[in-house]
Amino acid sequence: MKRSVAERIADVRRLQHAARTAADDRATLVPAIVASTGLSTEGVELALRRHLELDATDEELTRLVERAGEVSRVSVVLSANVFVGALRALAMARAASSDVVVRPSRRDPAFAQALVAAAVAAGDRGLRLDDALEVAAVEDGEIHVYGRDDTIADVRARARVRVRGHGSGMGVAWVSEGAELAAAARALAEDIVVFDQRGCLSPRIAFVHGADARALAFGDALHAELERQAGFVPRGSLPAEERAAAERYIATMTYACRALVGSQHAIGIAPPGAPLVLPPSYRHLHLAGCVSLAACAALLAPLAKGVVTVGSDDPAAARALAPPGARLAALGAMQRPRLDGPVDLREDA
Amino acid sequence: MPVELSSAALHARSTAFAGAFVAGAEPPESFDALAGDLARYQAAHSEGFARLCRARGVDLAAMTSADAIPPVPTDAFKLTRVSTFALEETTKTFRTSGTTVGARGEHFFRDVTTYEAAALASGRHWLARDLTARVPVIVLAPSPAEAADSSLVHMCASFVQELGVPAPPDETFLIDADGVLDLATFDERVANALAQNQPMLVLGTSFAFVHFIDGLGQDTFCLPAGSRVMQTGGYKGRSREVPADVLRSDLARAFGLDRRAIVAEYGMTELSSQFYEQTLFEPAAPLGRYAEPPWARVVPVDPETLAPVLDGAVGIAKIIDLMNVDSAVAVLTQDQVRRVGGGFELLGRAPGAVPRGCSIAIEELLGR
Repeated sequence: MKRSVAERIADVRRLQHAARTAADDRATLVPAIVASTGLSTEGVELALRRHLELDATDEELTRLVERAGEVSRVSVVLSANVFVGALRALAMARAASSDVVVRPSRRDPAFAQALVAAAVAAGDRGLRLDDALEVAAVEDGEIHVYGRDDTIADVRARARVRVRGHGSGMGVAWVSEGAELAAAARALAEDIVVFDQRGCLSPRIAFVHGADARALAFGDALHAELERQAGFVPRGSLPAEERAAAERYIATMTYACRALVGSQHAIGIAPPGAPLVLPPSYRHLHLAGCVSLAACAALLAPLAKGVVTVGSDDPAAARALAPPGARLAALGAMQRPRLDGPVDLREDA
Repeated sequence: MPVELSSAALHARSTAFAGAFVAGAEPPESFDALAGDLARYQAAHSEGFARLCRARGVDLAAMTSADAIPPVPTDAFKLTRVSTFALEETTKTFRTSGTTVGARGEHFFRDVTTYEAAALASGRHWLARDLTARVPVIVLAPSPAEAADSSLVHMCASFVQELGVPAPPDETFLIDADGVLDLATFDERVANALAQNQPMLVLGTSFAFVHFIDGLGQDTFCLPAGSRVMQTGGYKGRSREVPADVLRSDLARAFGLDRRAIVAEYGMTELSSQFYEQTLFEPAAPLGRYAEPPWARVVPVDPETLAPVLDGAVGIAKIIDLMNVDSAVAVLTQDQVRRVGGGFELLGRAPGAVPRGCSIAIEELLGR
């Protein structure tokens, strides 16, 4: 049965209410997510408090419904994503179909399971879990798969229906000539801290407009701010391979120019004009000074395919710098995109 | 009396290691002593290395073991000049091969003769020490004129000059700028060598050999008796990838040689030394085990702490290279190695950290 746009929006709103209900059960949910994600308790609380997309305008949900399209069934495969991303993934699926099957991430199932349970309890008959969902056996509708590129490629290779893949990515920040450095540092630090930089919107590289001294000054301000924020949102556990990658990055940047190493973060200051390197996640940022937007765009070009969002205090600059499909955001809001479609809009660009 | 720490004096001391090796003599001084002096010299003339030493808490003045030298990650060669001298003093620059995403690393030389002396000493020892006369040398790579910044091509050109019978470059370097192999010339040179009963030395990259094998199909291309082949390098997407033992068998079959005459070499742009399998001259040497010359050490280290791992355990290769006089005496690679029987095994590139969540990994960017 075809649903009207209003009905589809109502289904998404019901899901948002379910997310609120699920998130309210902190005593059960938070320890489970801490255990499965390795985030700190404070990190999980922060994500639930500020990054669960519970408010959306009708206009935004109308856009989400348009982007979702309409199909007979959506089979959602969740993996390797930030945990609150389950809400957006299911919202997209529920907007697209009144028959949604969800396979939660094996490693990180807690929030998706709680969300589906709350939605079903609230009367949603179009949503169900299937831990054993086999993509090769899906015969109609679409598969929405969230995960790393190789996961998506694997699903595409096995699927017999259309697959919409939502892969990995990163955020990039531009601190304009007019930015007040302390405020920009505070805002960018918030974007870095949440999810321990494990989201596809997480800033991994930042550019500072101006002379090298300004980039250094911003680096110092960000260094202090990340240290301060770690005091109330500590970083979670760091896997061994990430610790090794961090050590290598820090040694490289120490040799190349400067590394600001905090108790739970590091900032690498790039030598002027040097090609970009991608730092590890888990609160590592590569910072480069740029004399112009054009110079910045040239530096970013080789990595542009990975950019999902550009954050800046200067919307026009962000627009100029953003590769096709990248979202635009204010600093401090890079991890809070509106609920108007998938986080990653590159495929539609 | 304090030791003179000038670049020229250090080059002379490093070259003396190669000279002693060629002469079959003991090294002229202790490895650790020269490594320490190189580190002190590099810290005095490279701000970046001095910063790295301070960050690692290394007291170079008191240092007595090369193991204590903080290694410079190969990534640093992509971001900045890893050198002790000014740009205008550069006489030679080698560059790593490029990728879509990755920047090219650069290794600058003030005096490339030290590199050449080391390369020739190693190459002769593990590839040609039995040869009593010059032999035809073929290189499956572009000529130095077409690949002036390739350290591999420079090394091969040194071998051609030192070990080869005279031949024009277009009859020696048989891959053109477009990557096309001149099989006809190769065939002609082989025919001449067969007629004169001369063994040949064939040098090339793994991907060039794969293209050669693919072109040959099931045919053979027999080289004269006593010939040997040196293959090196990874694939970097330039051909299908073939496991090392399969490539060795394929080359042995195609060239009509024993598998032990296919000698693998391990080197990198950021180093001035190379490492070879010992299979050609040492009957007991296992395939896949590389030997170090007396002026270089390969130390498997824990990727996080950089402490040497237990003997036989796998670690990341920290390479101490006494021929890297004006760059970095200790280099941290991304290759996994294991010490075994006085040499080391190469176990491929260490997998990069794949972040949990949907934050992108560099390998994914490279794959797009």
